[in-house]
Amino acid sequence: MQISARRLENTTIFDVTGDIDLANSPAVRKALLAELREKKIPRVIMNLQGVKYIDSSGIASLVEGLKASRDVQARFILFGLSRSAREVLQLSRLLTLFEIYENEEQALSGEGV
Amino acid sequence: MPQRQLLLRLQLLSNPVVLCGVRGVVSPIASALGFGEEDCRSITLAVDEALTNVIRHAYGGKLDRPIAIQFNKLKGADGESPGLEIVLSDRGPKPEPDAFEEKPAGELRSGGLGLHFMRQSMDTVVHSRVGSTNRLRMVKFIR
Repeated sequence: MQISARRLENTTIFDVTGDIDLANSPAVRKALLAELREKKIPRVIMNLQGVKYIDSSGIASLVEGLKASRDVQARFILFGLSRSAREVLQLSRLLTLFEIYENEEQALSGEGV
Repeated sequence: MPQRQLLLRLQLLSNPVVLCGVRGVVSPIASALGFGEEDCRSITLAVDEALTNVIRHAYGGKLDRPIAIQFNKLKGADGESPGLEIVLSDRGPKPEPDAFEEKPAGELRSGGLGLHFMRQSMDTVVHSRVGSTNRLRMVKFIR
Protein backbone atom coordinates (compact mmCIF):
# COMPACT_ATOMS: atom_id res chain seq x y z
CA MET A 1 0.00 0.00 0.00
CA GLN A 2 1.14 3.54 -0.67
CA ILE A 3 -0.29 6.73 0.75
CA SER A 4 0.64 10.23 -0.34
CA ALA A 5 -0.78 13.63 0.50
CA ARG A 6 -1.76 16.57 -1.68
CA ARG A 7 -2.28 19.77 0.25
CA LEU A 8 -4.64 22.41 -1.07
CA GLU A 9 -6.01 25.40 0.76
CA ASN A 10 -7.79 24.10 3.89
CA THR A 11 -7.87 20.59 2.43
CA THR A 12 -5.64 17.53 2.35
CA ILE A 13 -6.27 14.79 -0.17
CA PHE A 14 -4.73 11.41 0.58
CA ASP A 15 -4.16 9.23 -2.48
CA VAL A 16 -4.10 5.60 -1.39
CA THR A 17 -3.18 2.67 -3.60
CA GLY A 18 -3.02 -1.05 -2.81
CA ASP A 19 -4.76 -3.15 -0.19
CA ILE A 20 -5.51 -1.78 3.27
CA ASP A 21 -5.12 -4.55 5.83
CA LEU A 22 -3.48 -5.22 9.19
CA ALA A 23 -0.02 -4.80 7.65
CA ASN A 24 -0.56 -1.17 6.72
CA SER A 25 -3.75 0.18 8.30
CA PRO A 26 -1.68 1.72 11.16
CA ALA A 27 0.02 3.94 8.56
CA VAL A 28 -3.38 5.11 7.28
CA ARG A 29 -4.55 5.81 10.82
CA LYS A 30 -1.35 7.72 11.67
CA ALA A 31 -1.58 9.86 8.54
CA LEU A 32 -5.25 10.69 9.16
CA LEU A 33 -4.80 11.56 12.82
CA ALA A 34 -1.76 13.74 12.12
CA GLU A 35 -3.73 15.74 9.59
CA LEU A 36 -6.89 16.08 11.65
CA ARG A 37 -5.69 16.27 15.25
CA GLU A 38 -2.22 17.79 14.94
CA LYS A 39 -2.40 19.97 11.83
CA LYS A 40 -6.09 20.78 12.34
CA ILE A 41 -6.82 20.60 8.62
CA PRO A 42 -10.52 21.46 8.24
CA ARG A 43 -11.20 19.01 5.40
CA VAL A 44 -9.50 15.67 4.79
CA ILE A 45 -10.37 13.66 1.70
CA MET A 46 -9.42 10.02 1.06
CA ASN A 47 -8.98 9.03 -2.57
CA LEU A 48 -9.65 5.28 -2.51
CA GLN A 49 -9.77 4.74 -6.28
CA GLY A 50 -6.59 2.67 -6.12
CA VAL A 51 -7.75 0.51 -3.19
CA LYS A 52 -9.07 -2.85 -4.35
CA TYR A 53 -9.33 -4.44 -0.92
CA ILE A 54 -9.97 -3.21 2.61
CA ASP A 55 -10.54 -5.29 5.74
CA SER A 56 -11.81 -4.58 9.24
CA SER A 57 -8.52 -3.04 10.33
CA GLY A 58 -8.72 -0.65 7.37
CA ILE A 59 -12.33 0.20 8.21
CA ALA A 60 -11.22 0.78 11.81
CA SER A 61 -8.65 3.31 10.60
CA LEU A 62 -11.33 5.15 8.62
CA VAL A 63 -13.57 5.10 11.70
CA GLU A 64 -10.73 6.64 13.72
CA GLY A 65 -10.45 9.35 11.09
CA LEU A 66 -14.18 9.99 11.18
CA LYS A 67 -14.21 10.19 14.98
CA ALA A 68 -11.23 12.55 14.98
CA SER A 69 -12.91 14.76 12.38
CA ARG A 70 -16.03 15.01 14.54
CA ASP A 71 -13.92 15.86 17.59
CA VAL A 72 -12.24 18.78 15.81
CA GLN A 73 -15.28 19.81 13.70
CA ALA A 74 -13.53 18.96 10.46
CA ARG A 75 -14.92 17.15 7.42
CA PHE A 76 -13.75 13.66 6.52
CA ILE A 77 -14.65 12.58 3.02
CA LEU A 78 -14.15 9.38 0.99
CA PHE A 79 -14.33 9.00 -2.76
CA GLY A 80 -13.63 6.39 -5.42
CA LEU A 81 -14.70 3.31 -3.46
CA SER A 82 -14.22 0.04 -5.34
CA ARG A 83 -17.01 -2.50 -5.38
CA SER A 84 -15.13 -4.59 -2.84
CA ALA A 85 -14.49 -1.64 -0.49
CA ARG A 86 -18.14 -0.59 -0.72
CA GLU A 87 -19.28 -4.15 0.06
CA VAL A 88 -17.10 -4.27 3.16
CA LEU A 89 -18.37 -0.87 4.37
CA GLN A 90 -21.93 -2.06 3.78
CA LEU A 91 -21.22 -5.22 5.73
CA SER A 92 -19.95 -3.08 8.61
CA ARG A 93 -23.26 -1.12 8.47
CA LEU A 94 -21.18 2.07 8.63
CA LEU A 95 -21.61 3.12 5.02
CA THR A 96 -24.18 5.81 5.78
CA LEU A 97 -22.04 7.38 8.50
CA PHE A 98 -19.38 8.45 6.02
CA GLU A 99 -19.56 11.30 3.53
CA ILE A 100 -18.89 9.50 0.25
CA TYR A 101 -18.63 10.73 -3.35
CA GLU A 102 -17.93 9.08 -6.65
CA ASN A 103 -14.98 11.20 -7.74
CA GLU A 104 -12.61 13.96 -6.68
CA GLU A 105 -14.52 16.76 -8.34
CA GLN A 106 -17.66 15.90 -6.40
CA ALA A 107 -15.68 15.39 -3.19
CA LEU A 108 -14.17 18.88 -3.52
CA SER A 109 -17.44 20.56 -4.41
CA GLY A 110 -19.37 18.54 -1.82
CA GLU A 111 -22.04 17.69 -4.33
CA GLY A 112 -23.02 14.19 -5.43
CA VAL A 113 -24.88 13.15 -8.54
CA MET B 1 -20.54 -36.69 7.90
CA PRO B 2 -19.46 -34.83 4.75
CA GLN B 3 -16.57 -36.26 2.77
CA ARG B 4 -13.50 -34.05 2.60
CA GLN B 5 -10.78 -33.66 0.04
CA LEU B 6 -7.69 -31.75 1.06
CA LEU B 7 -6.97 -29.01 -1.46
CA LEU B 8 -4.21 -26.98 0.17
CA ARG B 9 -2.37 -26.74 3.46
CA LEU B 10 -0.35 -23.63 4.33
CA GLN B 11 2.08 -23.12 7.21
CA LEU B 12 2.51 -19.43 8.00
CA LEU B 13 4.12 -17.14 10.49
CA SER B 14 2.00 -14.59 12.32
CA ASN B 15 3.34 -11.65 10.33
CA PRO B 16 0.73 -9.35 8.75
CA VAL B 17 2.76 -9.24 5.54
CA VAL B 18 1.56 -12.79 4.77
CA LEU B 19 -2.08 -11.63 4.56
CA CYS B 20 -1.75 -10.35 1.02
CA GLY B 21 -0.26 -13.63 -0.19
CA VAL B 22 -2.95 -15.75 1.47
CA ARG B 23 -5.70 -13.59 -0.02
CA GLY B 24 -4.14 -14.28 -3.38
CA VAL B 25 -4.77 -18.02 -3.13
CA VAL B 26 -8.23 -18.04 -1.56
CA SER B 27 -10.26 -16.61 -4.40
CA PRO B 28 -8.84 -18.94 -7.11
CA ILE B 29 -9.56 -21.98 -4.92
CA ALA B 30 -13.12 -20.85 -4.24
CA SER B 31 -13.67 -19.99 -7.89
CA ALA B 32 -12.39 -23.40 -9.01
CA LEU B 33 -14.95 -25.05 -6.71
CA GLY B 34 -17.77 -23.12 -8.38
CA PHE B 35 -18.32 -20.11 -6.12
CA GLY B 36 -19.36 -16.88 -7.81
CA GLU B 37 -17.36 -13.65 -7.65
CA GLU B 38 -19.22 -12.19 -4.68
CA ASP B 39 -18.84 -15.41 -2.67
CA CYS B 40 -15.14 -15.53 -3.57
CA ARG B 41 -14.73 -12.01 -2.16
CA SER B 42 -16.67 -12.98 0.98
CA ILE B 43 -14.56 -16.09 1.59
CA THR B 44 -11.37 -14.11 1.05
CA LEU B 45 -12.53 -11.51 3.58
CA ALA B 46 -13.40 -14.22 6.13
CA VAL B 47 -9.97 -15.86 5.84
CA ASP B 48 -8.22 -12.48 6.08
CA GLU B 49 -10.24 -11.55 9.18
CA ALA B 50 -9.62 -14.93 10.82
CA LEU B 51 -5.87 -14.57 10.27
CA THR B 52 -5.95 -10.98 11.51
CA ASN B 53 -7.68 -12.13 14.70
CA VAL B 54 -5.06 -14.80 15.31
CA ILE B 55 -2.19 -12.35 14.74
CA ARG B 56 -3.70 -9.63 16.92
CA HIS B 57 -5.41 -11.57 19.68
CA ALA B 58 -3.95 -15.09 19.90
CA TYR B 59 -0.37 -13.93 19.40
CA GLY B 60 -0.61 -10.30 20.56
CA GLY B 61 1.15 -9.01 17.46
CA LYS B 62 4.18 -11.33 17.73
CA LEU B 63 5.46 -11.90 14.22
CA ASP B 64 7.01 -15.36 14.45
CA ARG B 65 4.29 -17.64 15.78
CA PRO B 66 2.91 -20.58 13.77
CA ILE B 67 -0.43 -20.60 11.97
CA ALA B 68 -1.72 -23.44 9.81
CA ILE B 69 -4.54 -23.13 7.29
CA GLN B 70 -6.16 -26.05 5.55
CA PHE B 71 -8.59 -25.79 2.65
CA ASN B 72 -10.86 -28.81 2.13
CA LYS B 73 -13.45 -29.47 -0.51
CA LEU B 74 -16.68 -30.76 1.04
CA LYS B 75 -18.33 -33.23 -1.27
CA GLY B 76 -21.85 -32.67 -0.02
CA ALA B 77 -22.98 -36.03 1.34
CA ASP B 78 -26.23 -36.53 3.30
CA GLY B 79 -28.20 -34.01 1.28
CA GLU B 80 -25.82 -31.12 2.04
CA SER B 81 -24.53 -28.88 -0.71
CA PRO B 82 -20.88 -29.18 -1.66
CA GLY B 83 -18.70 -26.48 -0.19
CA LEU B 84 -15.38 -25.22 1.04
CA GLU B 85 -14.12 -25.90 4.55
CA ILE B 86 -11.29 -23.76 5.92
CA VAL B 87 -9.57 -24.69 9.17
CA LEU B 88 -7.13 -22.34 10.91
CA SER B 89 -4.96 -23.60 13.76
CA ASP B 90 -2.80 -21.59 16.13
CA ARG B 91 -0.89 -22.23 19.34
CA GLY B 92 -1.99 -19.13 21.19
CA PRO B 93 -3.61 -19.15 24.63
CA LYS B 94 -7.21 -20.16 25.13
CA PRO B 95 -9.42 -17.17 24.29
CA GLU B 96 -11.45 -15.44 26.96
CA PRO B 97 -15.05 -16.71 27.15
CA ASP B 98 -16.40 -13.47 25.64
CA ALA B 99 -13.92 -13.40 22.73
CA PHE B 100 -16.49 -14.80 20.31
CA GLU B 101 -19.40 -12.68 21.44
CA GLU B 102 -20.29 -10.48 18.53
CA LYS B 103 -20.53 -6.76 19.12
CA PRO B 104 -23.29 -4.91 17.29
CA ALA B 105 -22.27 -3.65 13.85
CA GLY B 106 -23.17 -0.15 12.73
CA GLU B 107 -21.73 1.56 15.77
CA LEU B 108 -18.84 3.96 15.45
CA ARG B 109 -16.27 1.68 17.06
CA SER B 110 -12.82 0.95 15.72
CA GLY B 111 -12.77 -2.69 16.85
CA GLY B 112 -14.83 -5.87 16.81
CA LEU B 113 -15.76 -5.91 13.14
CA GLY B 114 -13.68 -8.92 12.16
CA LEU B 115 -15.88 -11.55 13.79
CA HIS B 116 -18.98 -9.88 12.34
CA PHE B 117 -17.43 -10.04 8.85
CA MET B 118 -16.53 -13.71 9.27
CA ARG B 119 -20.05 -14.66 10.40
CA GLN B 120 -21.68 -12.60 7.66
CA SER B 121 -19.42 -14.11 5.01
CA MET B 122 -19.52 -17.81 5.93
CA ASP B 123 -22.28 -20.35 6.70
CA THR B 124 -20.44 -21.83 9.66
CA VAL B 125 -17.84 -20.27 11.99
CA VAL B 126 -16.91 -22.43 14.98
CA HIS B 127 -14.01 -22.10 17.38
CA SER B 128 -12.76 -25.01 19.44
CA ARG B 129 -9.82 -25.70 21.71
CA VAL B 130 -8.06 -29.00 21.02
CA GLY B 131 -5.26 -29.62 23.53
CA SER B 132 -3.05 -26.54 23.28
CA THR B 133 -4.33 -25.57 19.83
CA ASN B 134 -7.05 -23.11 18.86
CA ARG B 135 -9.00 -24.36 15.89
CA LEU B 136 -11.33 -22.19 13.83
CA ARG B 137 -13.51 -24.03 11.32
CA MET B 138 -15.34 -22.05 8.67
CA VAL B 139 -17.57 -23.49 5.97
CA LYS B 140 -19.33 -21.97 3.00
CA PHE B 141 -21.69 -24.04 0.86
CA ILE B 142 -22.16 -23.63 -2.87
CA ARG B 143 -25.67 -22.52 -3.76
